[in-house]
Amino acid sequence: MSVVGARGDGTGTTGTMTSPGLTRVPLPRGRRGVELIMLAFSISVVLFAYASVGLGLNGHVPTGLATYGVLFALLMLGAHLAIRKLAPWADPLLLPLAALLNGLGLVMIYRLQEAGRNGNPGNAISTMSASTTTFQLMWSTIGVIAFAAVLVVVREPRMLQRYIYTLGAIGLVLVALPALLPASISEVPGTGAKIQVAIGGFSIQPEEFAKIALAVFFAGYLVAKRDVLALAGRHVLGIALPRARDMGPVLIAWAVSLLLLIFESDIGTSALFFGMFLIMLYVATQRTSWLLIGTSLFLVGAFLASQLVSHVALRFSIWLHPFTYPNVFCGSPSIHVPCVPSYQLAQGMYGLGFGGILGTGLGHGQPYLTPLVQSDFIITAFGEELGLTGLMALLLIYGLIVERGLRAAVAVRDPFAKLLATGLSFVIALQVFVIVGGVTQLIPLTGITTPFLSQGGSSLVASWMIIAVLMRISDTARRPAPQPIQDEGMTQVVRGV
Amino acid sequence: MNHALRRVALACLAMFLLLLVNVNYVQGFEAGKLADYPGNGRTFAQQYQYQRGSIITADNKPIAQSKHVSGVYSFQRYYPAGPTYAPVTGYDTPYSKTGIEQAEDNLLSGTDPRLAVRNLIDLVTGKPRKGATVQLTINSAAQKAAYEALKASGRPSGAVAIDPSTGAILALASYPTFNPNKYATLNGTKLNKVDKKYRDSPQQPLLNRAINQTFPPGSTFKIVTSSAAFSSGKYHPDSRYYAPTNLKLPGTTNQLINFDNSPCNDGSNPTGNGTVPLIYAFTVSCNTVFGGLGMKLGGSALRHQANAFGMNTELRIPLKVSASQYPPVSDPDFTAYSAIGQYNDTVTPLQEAMFAAAIANHGTLMRPYMVQKVIAPNLTSLVTTQPSALSHPVSRSVAADMSRMMASVVAQPYGTAHSIAGQLGGITVAAKTGTAQNGANNTGLDDAVFTSFAPVANPRIAVGVIVKGGGLGADASAPIAVQIIKAYLSYLNSSAKG
Repeated sequence: MSVVGARGDGTGTTGTMTSPGLTRVPLPRGRRGVELIMLAFSISVVLFAYASVGLGLNGHVPTGLATYGVLFALLMLGAHLAIRKLAPWADPLLLPLAALLNGLGLVMIYRLQEAGRNGNPGNAISTMSASTTTFQLMWSTIGVIAFAAVLVVVREPRMLQRYIYTLGAIGLVLVALPALLPASISEVPGTGAKIQVAIGGFSIQPEEFAKIALAVFFAGYLVAKRDVLALAGRHVLGIALPRARDMGPVLIAWAVSLLLLIFESDIGTSALFFGMFLIMLYVATQRTSWLLIGTSLFLVGAFLASQLVSHVALRFSIWLHPFTYPNVFCGSPSIHVPCVPSYQLAQGMYGLGFGGILGTGLGHGQPYLTPLVQSDFIITAFGEELGLTGLMALLLIYGLIVERGLRAAVAVRDPFAKLLATGLSFVIALQVFVIVGGVTQLIPLTGITTPFLSQGGSSLVASWMIIAVLMRISDTARRPAPQPIQDEGMTQVVRGV
Repeated sequence: MNHALRRVALACLAMFLLLLVNVNYVQGFEAGKLADYPGNGRTFAQQYQYQRGSIITADNKPIAQSKHVSGVYSFQRYYPAGPTYAPVTGYDTPYSKTGIEQAEDNLLSGTDPRLAVRNLIDLVTGKPRKGATVQLTINSAAQKAAYEALKASGRPSGAVAIDPSTGAILALASYPTFNPNKYATLNGTKLNKVDKKYRDSPQQPLLNRAINQTFPPGSTFKIVTSSAAFSSGKYHPDSRYYAPTNLKLPGTTNQLINFDNSPCNDGSNPTGNGTVPLIYAFTVSCNTVFGGLGMKLGGSALRHQANAFGMNTELRIPLKVSASQYPPVSDPDFTAYSAIGQYNDTVTPLQEAMFAAAIANHGTLMRPYMVQKVIAPNLTSLVTTQPSALSHPVSRSVAADMSRMMASVVAQPYGTAHSIAGQLGGITVAAKTGTAQNGANNTGLDDAVFTSFAPVANPRIAVGVIVKGGGLGADASAPIAVQIIKAYLSYLNSSAKG
């Protein structure tokens, strides 16, 4: 029934015929031009930051500025063109925000990689190599390709609904994979967490992708079952409790997240999955009781875990007393030898404190003193060198992405897409909360990646895919309703856009 | 579903708000507290962004300086004569400091409130912050002589020299020692390795033997016993006292004997059952005489006298000094042993120097100190130490008697320290030797102890030396003291001429 076909010009103006007597709602604009201007702004911030790293480290603009900068700019422009072609009505803010985060992550990874190398001040970070930034740029490229691929493959959110059980199964396999593999392949060295699949020098974290697959599965499942799940049973203390026989799904999700916790020692991801499920369940059923039940289940689980798994108990001790001597150091009294994981948290906090309000400036701090600063603790590197000001800006960028995602969820009509957008937006918020809260001592630290910023490919690619899904949903939500092109009474020829 | 969705959006907002409030708290309000945590390497690095003050000797020789280097740390510590001054300067690392580096850290680093106004002016005028210079009382000639002599002995040893009239410490050396330059690295791994090496070394190079290790005083404690006797008014140097070859100790089958089991005979005591003058007993160091005298005076009188000489007190010079011990004794036999420095009494080399210094300064013991003054970066003097009396262990006349006895130890041909008389080159020295037995059943090598001052008529320097396992005090320790004395007196001569 499409007469004109999809318009990819993104100008937001559609050359519709007007006929007198027909009341026309002005078409919403695609706002791709706005996106381009903001993207240019994002790219220039990133390029300036990149130059600033070199100037801060050794007084010279980095020689790689031209190559890295141009590559990054081209990559983001490619993403922009893909949107023009594939999702012209999508939210114009999401790409510039994601590009800014991805770019700043690259800049920080470059800055950390350069510490102690090429005559720059500081100690070289042994877990990084001289080609880390190149690899990260490569992963960014794969991320943008995955972003475009999602837009190409998923032309309509509801298309995903057909594959919910397949995706659910894939999600479960991805989650369970590291637990089933031998520790030599699946354990992140030194952490005890079995969350990766490392073969050769190459590793991926399947849970990052499981996040998306499971979000799709939850959305599809909940859309199908929400009426049953919303049925109230008894009222206790003014709260409508669900019927016992409907408790199945929440119990299964809880059990899976606990298994994840126990077999992979990965509290962060476990909390992430369970939190995402709960929120989607709540939005699907609108029953607060599910939130209460789920949260209590999680707290009970976390308490049991803290009693049973020493790993978890240690995390609590570190959180409560990060600066007590035995938690930070061991060894002789005069020279402190770091030997327990609180050293990392303490160093990160020192970095944040050292950065203060305005930060030391890129290249002027000592973020390399914090172990694994390029992955879990990258936010403390930003806090140190860009200060409170820069950190607040980063948090606001995340906040904007989340709220734009939720905005798409509100706007879209299809309940499946609504739930999916809710789940994915919330999972970003929760992930940022868990990791930033963890490294700033707000909550016990659990090692998960910081979306877009941390070194590592899986998280980056998965984050780009989430942005793609959110943009697809917002594209669907903002796409103008089919317009009558002629006034023919009850029968209309409509034009699909 | 939009109703629930809006609530989710609010929840997300609340999470971000929590994060924002928390980072504001951490970076805005808690930053100062975080900076003060010990082991905060970033704060340390910040300290090294500007020049830490120098430590210089009394004769203006720099012994710790901050050199300009490139990198994150703009300055690195440098000790021009590292091991010689190691027990004085200590070291300065990201995680800990010792010695003067620790004791005067606030002034050296410039964070002391007394430098606040200066720092504010520098901040306004854009000048880099600088630490204050600490000038010590240490004399480079005496210190060098002390360290080199200890090193030549090859044994664990400590030596301290004091100006008796002020209490100013002229030399404070320890051997084996460490090289503080090795600690002046800003590479954590290297630092760790250096520290581990020193810490695990059986030679204990980090131990400051001059003030932090105590040894049995041996016969040098006879200074305390004699002082207590003279102060009682019942004795003077020429008083004769019972001098048996073997002194029977009440309540035990033990007998106190003299060194090498020899009789105490100045010619008037051929039977080994008569008496000798105290000055003779002191000069040849008869154990039986002072053992008997100690029992007669009693443990509490000895303890009182020992306290007056500064024992049983923890001093700060400003480095922390281990207290020399004279624990209470009541049994007469143990009192006899303690009176000759062979019971539970232990002393530091500094305490040995203080014995001689109190006698040399006419019975007044000046409070030992090592920091002469602190000079602000603008060259104004911030702190100048005024000498003060610590105690008055003996009267002027008792001090004169003691001085006469100690001079006799060197001057008389039969004196235990007469062997050094030939090395003195015209300087008169008053001294007391000690050869402290130790180990199980006294089977260990004897510690050589020596306390002295010079010149006798107009004392300018008091020196205490202890060489662990050095054997006879006169053999091992006395020549070390002589070298320190000669080095300092010749420095005084040349500076008076110059």
